[in-house]
Amino acid sequence: MRFAFLLLLTFIAGIAQAQKVDADLLRIKQRMDSVKQFTAKVILDLDVPFIKMPTKTAQIKYAKGKKMEFSSSDFVMLPKRGLDFSLNEIFKYSFITVDRGTETRYGKLLKVINVIPTDNKSDLALATLYMDTRAGRIVESEINTRKNGTYSLLMQYAPGNNILPGYVEASFAIERLKIPLNFMGKDTKIDRKKMRGMETKTGKIKMRFENYNIKLG
Amino acid sequence: MRALLRAEVLKLLKQSKTYYALAAILVIELLIFITAYYQGSTILDLLLDNLKQSFYFEGTLLNGNLIMYIVLNSLWFNVPLILMIVTSGLVTDEYKDGTLQTVMLQAVKKWKFILAKYIMAVFFTVVVIALMMLSTFILAYSIFGKGDLVVYINTLNFFKSADAFHRICWAFASGTVAMVFYSVASITLAIFIKDSAKTWIAAALFLIITNLLLKADLGIPIFNNYFFPKLIDTWQQLFYFETNWLTIGVNNAVLILYCLGFAATGTYLFNKKDIG
Repeated sequence: MRFAFLLLLTFIAGIAQAQKVDADLLRIKQRMDSVKQFTAKVILDLDVPFIKMPTKTAQIKYAKGKKMEFSSSDFVMLPKRGLDFSLNEIFKYSFITVDRGTETRYGKLLKVINVIPTDNKSDLALATLYMDTRAGRIVESEINTRKNGTYSLLMQYAPGNNILPGYVEASFAIERLKIPLNFMGKDTKIDRKKMRGMETKTGKIKMRFENYNIKLG
Repeated sequence: MRALLRAEVLKLLKQSKTYYALAAILVIELLIFITAYYQGSTILDLLLDNLKQSFYFEGTLLNGNLIMYIVLNSLWFNVPLILMIVTSGLVTDEYKDGTLQTVMLQAVKKWKFILAKYIMAVFFTVVVIALMMLSTFILAYSIFGKGDLVVYINTLNFFKSADAFHRICWAFASGTVAMVFYSVASITLAIFIKDSAKTWIAAALFLIITNLLLKADLGIPIFNNYFFPKLIDTWQQLFYFETNWLTIGVNNAVLILYCLGFAATGTYLFNKKDIG
């Protein structure tokens, strides 16, 4: 009798756990998981107050379970977080979701959910995802991590039923530069007041993806 | 005039000071290369440390273009000092050796004689900078290769390799105008002072004061924009992300006018002065 009760309790807990993960998110995740590999050309525009960089291009290569690879003939800076639009890092450990209702953004009705990790190993503290449930895609995400600060991703998709975005805008906090004095040009003025005000700034990197070559599993 | 210039070229080639100057510039270049080779990566790591927290980097910034930019920075003090010492010697040596009187006993006009000195100073400066540029190009690109350039001037400015090369070439051209200005000024100082050791001290002082005034606020906008100490760093403006070509052109043109002004003053004074 006691054994049957425990079994029932485990079963109910299992159902409860399953119910805690949003069904639309699972559907989107499943769709994302179908991407086994892709290559693309990425056009990068960096928007950081103390960095001036021309538009750059790079080739990226993604294979599921592997680190993203990129190559370029120029010097390029790629965001450590912004390229994870499959949100693998979020889904890596167990989590629950909390429905936050809907919100209209970019002329679309989006479903808003919070993703809360249940495993202490996860670097994620809280993620807010804005999902286009009709198209089965994540449009925006705000991700708070334990060790790597907060960043947000805005994703735009080409018309059609594309899984991967054509444009991603990653916003992140960035600390001011510590410049060695012997590297400064003689024309450089040090405005300490201004520099203190620049301790942490918000940076953005805008990425346009072209020539996708996607392999689905 | 041609005979005077030929004689000046011969004097320049014969004097050991010329070769010491060239060797000194090469030593400076080599020291920059050695430092960059062993410490360049560490300095860049320190510079980009904060960014590494947020970004992956692809490509290297320790390349020929960065080395060229560092060598260009020797135009602030080292190179002009060497140039001023050598070019002032074109006049002070004539006073010291007493050859000035000998020349003036010939049918040589004073103004032509001193003008030949100014022309030779300009020629020597251009040759030295051209040699410096050429040797740096060959060594920097063969050792460190090509790549994007990063420069810190109020903001961290990145330039694509081809753009960086283009800017460096123009910076050398603009820097040459600044170096010509120093050389012309040193000849004028030599006419005033006559003694070589005193002229070197005066030249070094001129260089230091010019560098100090570069940063000073002179109060009046026209002085802040067009007083010669404010123009000697025009080559640095080639490394602003948004290049103001008009300002660069105007600044160099004004600096050339200063050169002509200094040369005219020196020629006038030399004409007026007794030779002895």
